[in-house]
Amino acid sequence: MRTRTTRSLGALMAAVSCVGLLAGGAFAQSSESAASDDLTFIVGYTQPPSTLNPFKAILTSEYEINSLQYPLLFNFDQDTLVAAPGGLAEELPTAENGGISDDGLTYTIKIRSGLTWSDGEPITAHDVAFTYNTILDMKFTNFTNYLPYTDSIEATDDTTLVWSTTKTTSAPFVPPWIAIVPEHVWGRYETKAEILDVNVNQDAVVAGPFQVTEYKNDESVTMQNLPGESYLGEPAIDTLIYQWFKNEETMVQALQQGTIDFAEDVPADLFATLEGQEGIGTNVGAAFSYSHLSFNQCYVQSSCTAGDDASSGPAYMKDPVLREAVAMAIDKQQLVDRILRGYGEPGTTMVVPSATFWHWEPTDPIPFDIEGANALLDEAGYDDTNGDGIREDPDSGEELTWRFDVPTDDGDRVKATELIAGWLGQIGIDTSPTPVTVAKITDIWLANDYDIYSWGWGPDPDPDFILSTYTTDQCKVWSDTCWSNEEYDQLYAEQQTASSEDDRLAAIQRMQEIFYEEIPQIVLWYDNDLQAYRQDKWTGFVPSPKPSADGRGGSLLFQYTNYSYLTIKPASAEAGTVGGSGGISPIVWVGVAAAVLALGGFLVVRNRRNDEDEA
Amino acid sequence: MGSRSYTLRKVLHAFITLFFVLIFNFFLFRVLPSDPVKFLTRGAGLEISPEEQQELLRDFGLDKPVWPISLTPPSFTADNQLFDYLGDTARLDFGTSITVNSGESVLGLFLEFMWPTLLLVGVSTVFSVLLGVWMGIRAGWRRGGVFDRASMGASLILYSMPEFWLGMLLIILFSANLGWFPNSGRETLGANYTGFAAVADSLNHLFLPALTLTLGYLGEYYLVMRGSLLDVLGEDFILTARAKGVRERMVLNRHAVRNALLPTISLIALSFGFVLGGAITVEVVFSYKGLGGLTYAALQSQDFPVLQAVFLFASAAVILMNLLADLVYGYFDPRVKEA
Repeated sequence: MRTRTTRSLGALMAAVSCVGLLAGGAFAQSSESAASDDLTFIVGYTQPPSTLNPFKAILTSEYEINSLQYPLLFNFDQDTLVAAPGGLAEELPTAENGGISDDGLTYTIKIRSGLTWSDGEPITAHDVAFTYNTILDMKFTNFTNYLPYTDSIEATDDTTLVWSTTKTTSAPFVPPWIAIVPEHVWGRYETKAEILDVNVNQDAVVAGPFQVTEYKNDESVTMQNLPGESYLGEPAIDTLIYQWFKNEETMVQALQQGTIDFAEDVPADLFATLEGQEGIGTNVGAAFSYSHLSFNQCYVQSSCTAGDDASSGPAYMKDPVLREAVAMAIDKQQLVDRILRGYGEPGTTMVVPSATFWHWEPTDPIPFDIEGANALLDEAGYDDTNGDGIREDPDSGEELTWRFDVPTDDGDRVKATELIAGWLGQIGIDTSPTPVTVAKITDIWLANDYDIYSWGWGPDPDPDFILSTYTTDQCKVWSDTCWSNEEYDQLYAEQQTASSEDDRLAAIQRMQEIFYEEIPQIVLWYDNDLQAYRQDKWTGFVPSPKPSADGRGGSLLFQYTNYSYLTIKPASAEAGTVGGSGGISPIVWVGVAAAVLALGGFLVVRNRRNDEDEA
Repeated sequence: MGSRSYTLRKVLHAFITLFFVLIFNFFLFRVLPSDPVKFLTRGAGLEISPEEQQELLRDFGLDKPVWPISLTPPSFTADNQLFDYLGDTARLDFGTSITVNSGESVLGLFLEFMWPTLLLVGVSTVFSVLLGVWMGIRAGWRRGGVFDRASMGASLILYSMPEFWLGMLLIILFSANLGWFPNSGRETLGANYTGFAAVADSLNHLFLPALTLTLGYLGEYYLVMRGSLLDVLGEDFILTARAKGVRERMVLNRHAVRNALLPTISLIALSFGFVLGGAITVEVVFSYKGLGGLTYAALQSQDFPVLQAVFLFASAAVILMNLLADLVYGYFDPRVKEA
């Protein structure tokens, strides 16, 4: 009996060893086949796209990927983010080059010739006209704001686009952030539903410089450099991969290990640990986004007072004194210091300071002053008559106890609401922050079923769109608060049709001033985009917009331009190599498998032997 | 009661339960306070007219009556939402995803996320069952010994430790410090491994999340098996076997373990039923693709077609594994067939 057992075990071990040797050979073979000269750049980010259909783009990741596949009419200037050549247009239209008609109602834009789509078809003015007309005809409201007062857009030949408007408008110089799609592909869809249903997540007909060749849900998007020079030029990298992480800690560790080359949107606390680490470069990028605290201002519009979706906000919230007192009770600098660890700046208006040309800064900002806020409320008659620490509205007698919702998509905002609730408690306003899902806050916001809430925006460099969201007719569409101000609405229309940049600037700055004085919403902070990368492997990043004197404020990727993707290049021989993710050798795995099999076999044989002995 | 009728009865019960789950799933998504047109069009740049809204409702069959039977006035209609739903489900047509991957077939999406889950949670469950049961038997048989005391302490610690925390500790040790295993994903992106190297690469990525789940699940099986064995060891038939002079190993294998396995079988079957639920915390820690993450993303973005399919499949898996447990139970313990 014992002999048989030993022999069986020996045979098993021998078989496993053979498998190991064979597998080892296979590994050596397949490793060789995997090696190549491809230069691969891997970007880590926590926001996977939901679709790469350019007509449905909303998320930052969707815009970033699509902007590497589909061209714009104009590009954004690297330093200032205003319209610049570099898109499909040969140059910006001016009166001098005959691009703007005498009455200012017609733009004639020359389109570059000799460019092709990835299937070899030429890129022409007809593609631009088709895309813009599709947006207008089918009312893709994500984009219609870019094309105001349009009478017609047509291609008179392959290289000439004629854009006529019913009023003078500076629309082309926004510039329209609309991905131009090939008419010969998209023209076959007849209805809006058909266009929305198109799945072009990989191998789409694109202009380059990159094309998505593999789209793995929730894992990665792989892009290949299209052969030949694209309308943007020729990047050095061959393969560009976006890896989607489900948490930032893992993403930062992957950067430290060298399995990714770039980490986007690193949280402030992790960013601080990366600064000064060998081989890692850090960048305090532009503050393109802001967080806000919104008051329910739904009073004017008929939909606010009637119907199923009538506002549930308190009537006294329209008192500007009350809102000013709340603004005085919030220490924005402390929010920046404690929540953002200093990587941001206190907020004032909805036009972010990175849009330096358009941003307006108050000369006499509202100070943080709890005593002053209490004095304001005392004076306005918001007394605490029953002594429970909560003030009451003098008209209705209602206590100032507010619902305070915050979506969980941004941990910083959730933390901030706790601080804000504490400060509001000090001025006799009772709030308890409720974290909710993005879907829930969307429902609450669209139905005006809130008292106050906190959320955020990441607007375009041109302020047109973000300014439009505060106009009266945007209530229940994009408006955060359903605030309504007649002068503001009028100025919005004026800036759209301003005949000179100075006139437009004056209107836009006055709009910000009204917003800051009326306080339908408190802009809490502008947060810097924190980025980190392997500086031991890569170089050539081009910051945009131009950083300030302290080196802050320019993003290296996730810009409004594609400059960096074209200029990044290896800093060392290590760059672009993959496979450094750790992991034990296949031979060891074979050994482990052998050991498990051997152990299992041994136990089975031993049990059988025992049973036989017993029998 | 015979073996055949026992099996038939259990299968029938499973089908009835599955049918109720189907009906529940149908109503669950119709009582949610949400306007289907609103969530279908939100964020898609749609500014739609009432006519287009009606058309959308018609396209999705939402303009039809919910029930086949109406009481006011009493009538029956075969063209209703419930029958459509049952027919679509029978054809495995669960519609298309709205937000998770806009426009993709829900079944395709589910299958794409199912395989990584089966691999991760399935492998972890198998290993934790094998190890847990083996350790439970060993500890129970030598109660109070060094192995019993050490394994009891370790199991209780692992059982009470949150999986995400355990995962983070393993990442710090094996990935950040030792560099033995990657900390995220399912493969080395851009490496394009083929053949056995690709398998080894997958195993390297699977190792840490699978180890986390195996250690996390282990304690449960260990504690149940050990407790069950201790109960059985106190029974009269064990005493009888020993009195007959049966060898200790035979007492353990033939008499004690076989009887003590019964509660563990139920536990194992239920655990396999929950495999399709995924392991959200471990998936998040290791950025590992899986059904837990899909469910979470669908919940966050109100992707109801995806949620409906995930709920249905997850429920069906539990029902199926319960049925299997009942049948295996009947095999191991013939007394239940007589009940």
